[in-house]
Amino acid sequence: MDAFSMGLVAAMGALATVAGASEDIESDIGSQSNPNSQVQLAAQVGNPHRIYNKAVSGEPPANALWAATAAIVAYTLITAFQMPALLALVAGASVAALFNGVFAMSSYFGRNASQARFNQWIYLDIVRYTTPSIMAHAWITSFCIATISYIMVYMLPTPHPFPMPIIALIWGLAVGAIGSSVGDIHYGGEREFQNRQFGCGLNTMLSGQIVRKAEAGLRNSIDNAWFCTKFGGPATGMGFGLTVFLDNWRTAVFDPVTQASYAIAMGLFFIIVMVIYNNYIEKSLRRKYGPYPEYKGDVAA
Amino acid sequence: MSVGGGGGGAPSAYDPKKLRMYGLVGSIVGIYLGSILNSALNTEVFSFVGAIAAIFAVVMGANSVRRICAYGIGTGVPSIGMLALGMGIIAVMFGLSVAETMGFGLLGPIITLVYAGVFGYIIGVIANKVIKFNIPVMEEGNADLSMAGALAILGWSFAVSGTLGYADIVNDVLMTGYIAIIFIAGGLAILHPFNACLGPDEKQDRTLVNAIMVGGLAMVATGIAALATQGLAAGLLQLIIGFALWFYFFKMYYKLVKRDASAVVGTGLLPPTVQ
Repeated sequence: MDAFSMGLVAAMGALATVAGASEDIESDIGSQSNPNSQVQLAAQVGNPHRIYNKAVSGEPPANALWAATAAIVAYTLITAFQMPALLALVAGASVAALFNGVFAMSSYFGRNASQARFNQWIYLDIVRYTTPSIMAHAWITSFCIATISYIMVYMLPTPHPFPMPIIALIWGLAVGAIGSSVGDIHYGGEREFQNRQFGCGLNTMLSGQIVRKAEAGLRNSIDNAWFCTKFGGPATGMGFGLTVFLDNWRTAVFDPVTQASYAIAMGLFFIIVMVIYNNYIEKSLRRKYGPYPEYKGDVAA
Repeated sequence: MSVGGGGGGAPSAYDPKKLRMYGLVGSIVGIYLGSILNSALNTEVFSFVGAIAAIFAVVMGANSVRRICAYGIGTGVPSIGMLALGMGIIAVMFGLSVAETMGFGLLGPIITLVYAGVFGYIIGVIANKVIKFNIPVMEEGNADLSMAGALAILGWSFAVSGTLGYADIVNDVLMTGYIAIIFIAGGLAILHPFNACLGPDEKQDRTLVNAIMVGGLAMVATGIAALATQGLAAGLLQLIIGFALWFYFFKMYYKLVKRDASAVVGTGLLPPTVQ
């Protein structure tokens, strides 16, 4: 292990933290992934709304697409046109953001048009001011992930044997999966159902009864970004940043060829520590806040 | 209420059998046409024909996703799209390597297609009989999906490498990592149309136009990849045709959205509730 490779690992961890945060906020602005089902149901149970409905797919495949797009463009520009890496990565992320905009718009149009019988309108002003915000966050995510892949393939002392686009695809899947499991709960459970008692869980009869009105005026997806930036985004960033950092740290400290067994043992050690820590957090939360009262009608927040 | 719009199958204006025939014939003929033109004229400019051929397969796949998922599989739409490409990539690798080993490189697409059909059907039987989905069109739909996924991967791999040789595709598509974008953009092209149009008032024509639109976008991506593997002329041609396809069909999609939506407004308050 040398200082240079440890610096690179630290940089990758930092990039991953930013990527995780921006990924979660991107999906929250568009109401992607699991909270999307409530946005989709809202109109069907008689609550038409002004919230973006970006159902591109689950977050993992969608983010894999943005990251892979950024990586193939960067890889092409670097290998075929000898472009400087930073410029190539910027160009790649820009193409990925454009792809993201097309997919986001087509979902908003398509999903809302398919709810015509519930009178869910399509608002063009939402498309105009929310889509660029979604694209901007996708730009940050795909830039960070393509850069992580670039570092892993071209800069680390023991380069990764896979080609850059494949690594970007895998990290894209990973950031989507982490965003979906960590950050979305903050948006889905606490923002869409902000008027319910904290921690009451989602009763089936509440399905689709999401908050449609804001502190002033009607709630829109930019408000949701503001809310999710406070906790869901950073938590996701920490989750993904730790994943990338710890995973690369063990192969930076132990040589992956000659000391592979140490690196694997270190990975197992991390998993055991995290399982114990998660168990502790869950138990202490239940001790402090639980058990939650039975649902007895609506309770004022 | 199921998010997918209720059980009982999706009403369709275009018969799935006809769409399957157009999809399979269009994409096989297109891939062969591109391959023969490329080798006969000793050029790589006609690789874009393979990319267009893949879009035929994508439309067929999107229709099959629509048929299966209309039975109420709301959150399973992305999974089934990934399944299609997963089955497809195995079929492509099998078909091309067997054809090359036998010494008949040109037989590759046919072997791929047959293998994909049988493989998909078996997966469909397992899904229905073992996992007990009990969806009537599952076997047929999975065979369609598998063939669509295989032909989409084959068409776009040909568009990137310029030949149908197994060794060339391994070198130009797998070792460079361009398979990543073919896999994920192809998957999204098959799963996104129905996913984006999910809802009780989903219309078949709108969904299929969305499939062509996303197919055009994927062709832009393979065009970028072809810039590195085949040079500026072949790559740019593919990129521009992909962009033109995307542009034309995005406008058509928007037109269909305006036709189907209850209202498209510049801005406004919440609409009155209809219940």
